[in-house]
Amino acid sequence: MSFPFRTPARGVPAAAGAVAAVVLLAGCSGGGGSSDNGGEPVSGGNLVYATGDAEPTCLDPHVGGNYPQALISSQYLEPLVSRNSDGETIPWLASSWEQSEDGLSWTFTLREGVKFTDGTPLDAEAVKANIEHAQDPATASSTGYLALRKIKSAEAVDTQTLKLTLSSPDSALLESLSMPWVAIQSPKALERSQEENCAAPVGTGPFVVDKWVKQESVTMVRNEDYSAPPAEGWHAGPAYLDSITWRFIPESATRYAALQAGEVQVIDNAQPDTVKAAEGSDVIKHLDAPRPGASNRLELNSSKAPFDDPKVREAFVRSVNVNDGVSTLFFGTAKRSYSPLSSVEPLAYSDQSLFGYDLEEANRLLDEAGWTARDSAGYRVKDGKRLTLQFPVSTNQSIPAEQSLFEQFQATAKEAGFEVKLNLLDLSSWYGALAENNYNLVSAPYTKVGPDVLRILFHSDSTKPAPSGYFANLSQVKSDELDELLTKASETSEPAERERLYEEAQKIVLEGYYILPLYDQQNHFLYRSEVSGVKALPTVSTPTFHDAWLTN
Amino acid sequence: MADQLKPVRWVLAKVLGAAFVLWAVATLIFFGIRMIPGDPAEAILGGPGSQASPEALEQVRRDYGLDQPLLAQYAAQLGRLIRGDLGDSYSLRMPVADLIANQLPGTLLLSALSLLVAWLLALGLAGWSTLNGRAAGVVASGLEIAAAAVPHFWLASVLILLFSNSLGWLPPVNTGSADGLILPVVTLALPLAGFLGQVMRESMLAAMSSPFALSARARGEGESGVLFRHALRHAALPGIALSGWAFGNLLSGAVVVESIFARPGLGRTLLNAVTLRDIPLVTGVALVSALAYVLVMAASDVAERAADPRLRTA
Repeated sequence: MSFPFRTPARGVPAAAGAVAAVVLLAGCSGGGGSSDNGGEPVSGGNLVYATGDAEPTCLDPHVGGNYPQALISSQYLEPLVSRNSDGETIPWLASSWEQSEDGLSWTFTLREGVKFTDGTPLDAEAVKANIEHAQDPATASSTGYLALRKIKSAEAVDTQTLKLTLSSPDSALLESLSMPWVAIQSPKALERSQEENCAAPVGTGPFVVDKWVKQESVTMVRNEDYSAPPAEGWHAGPAYLDSITWRFIPESATRYAALQAGEVQVIDNAQPDTVKAAEGSDVIKHLDAPRPGASNRLELNSSKAPFDDPKVREAFVRSVNVNDGVSTLFFGTAKRSYSPLSSVEPLAYSDQSLFGYDLEEANRLLDEAGWTARDSAGYRVKDGKRLTLQFPVSTNQSIPAEQSLFEQFQATAKEAGFEVKLNLLDLSSWYGALAENNYNLVSAPYTKVGPDVLRILFHSDSTKPAPSGYFANLSQVKSDELDELLTKASETSEPAERERLYEEAQKIVLEGYYILPLYDQQNHFLYRSEVSGVKALPTVSTPTFHDAWLTN
Repeated sequence: MADQLKPVRWVLAKVLGAAFVLWAVATLIFFGIRMIPGDPAEAILGGPGSQASPEALEQVRRDYGLDQPLLAQYAAQLGRLIRGDLGDSYSLRMPVADLIANQLPGTLLLSALSLLVAWLLALGLAGWSTLNGRAAGVVASGLEIAAAAVPHFWLASVLILLFSNSLGWLPPVNTGSADGLILPVVTLALPLAGFLGQVMRESMLAAMSSPFALSARARGEGESGVLFRHALRHAALPGIALSGWAFGNLLSGAVVVESIFARPGLGRTLLNAVTLRDIPLVTGVALVSALAYVLVMAASDVAERAADPRLRTA
């Protein structure tokens, strides 16, 4: 089902007008209380958060495992480890860890004295139960299951010591365990039926799920006995807020209007036009928290013509004017990327020189590749076939600004003689087009902590479709050299060597023109100035309200 | 004797007709949703961003009977429906009947209020223009056409910008209180009032120049008296006949309006269910909507008979 009100052209002036109105209102109200983060935190109050993401089907992120679940479960569930702002792993529910010489067994020491909100103590048996829960096919876990893929067994050595045995060394294990999809829940609560656990999972987090009114909101109340903040960044003791109301407001313009009206205090999925509009506001502040893992990029399907020819791939990359499109359509809210990895990944490797817009070079490459003739419409032809690129676009995953950007690509690539056929599809149809290999270009976001996402996206194993037909290696790179680098990197814990391997791997991906990097996976939050202390977890960039407080 | 049987036969025909409509809806949805590419098993596992493992997919297919042949699934589905069992929603993991019971009141309230407001607006405009001559007729006709042509999503955005952002009078989202209902009701009512107004005004004008209006005037009745005592009933007839259709229009409008104003309801449930390939939920909502439509059609039939004595003898 396509929604006509997604049209961005209409939203831009509308939002601009809305902002003018808010500035006026703010002027009238006489300034109000200053709400800089300077003051002393005060306890109390209910914060209303409005999400534009889909309503989770289950509040337990072990089940399935998508971003909407990560967003909300970060308020009540906590993982074993976290990351600091430099991208280094820091303790959370696990206070320390050690891996064996051969990398095949890991020993985790769990924090003492932590209790789940149902009173169950956090111990080694509890963590073991969680790992087994996520690995149990009956749980139907996707993301968590993949994160724990190499864990063969878990064993409680004593109450607070857990030993994990791996099938092969896993340099990404700590990064995987930092993700909300494998956060730790009360083993007692996990014993309930999946229905019950989905409705109100029990964790150790600063808030507790209180009530879920479907299609409307989830209410969470403060965990008064909270005692387990991560090793860096959070204040000790319980949260300041009494409660959080987590509302589902799918329509972007309504969400922003509700924020302006003060009906809600924080919104996610803020679109570029509203972010830009909010810049001039005293009342509304902006939190930019790009997601980890892969950058947003076009994947060039190298498994079939015309992109089986590297020259045609490079010609396409040179023929699209990315920078102008990004700066006009995203109003400076998105920074251009030249890497397969998100800029929040410490091991991201960039090479700007490969991706300059150069129409002449594009034309030269296409001539060289044998696409010399043009038909009456101006498109290049070879052996009677037009140089056509099928580009299925998921309207669920590409925001309106991105869809417009792709239309600009279509226009600039035409000058070089490419016919880009944009096809806007809902998610299931989009998956269908990919499963049938009926695409030359595609944009597919992938969120994961750490550079191991490169193995998922570019190892030839990932070209083999799952039973559903889906595969993650959408550029369909099949390179023995790359496979070897990625496999080795995933088993190498020595930091310098790991970095070198991932750099080599990224060079192959970039220099082979398998992808066209665009920008980080956008993740913008807007909040009202009466809220202080809003921050995003440096793992998958979900916001957390443990430190948040409300003035007035 | 034959005259006494008539209502019985009428009711029987309606019931059979309704049963056929419900069966057709269930069948169309069952096969229709499978023609859209995409795997319901993957949708059950969270769809976007979650890469389902083969084990998880297999588990889900077994759990939901998706590994059975299509016709077997269809037969099982019909069997369940006949027993009154709407099944469990894939995506919300709740019985469909409970979900609909939770979401229906909001949509019914929204639709009923919108229908009422649309009726009042349409009758008011028709009455005003009838009493105020040709120029007023042109103005009314222009307003009706403009209102009828306005898409819901556009109207909703304009109303939010005007009354929430600029004036700050009304909340842009559902607040649980009555003021949150005003903008969604106006959004649904205005275009409908445009449609209803056009037909009502025409039949009101026709009634005002008919012989019975003339004789009323001859008895000394004033223009407004003629309008309220005589012409109104005539103007209402096509309005009543259209109300069944209008209700269907409101239900589909609710899909857009509930999403924009973030209201819980059947429309938003249906939109989410379609996006997630939640077959039991789509089927359930469609069946309930079809049933509501059939009931409202029957009710407007009855109301039309009550308002128009000519139909009773037919």
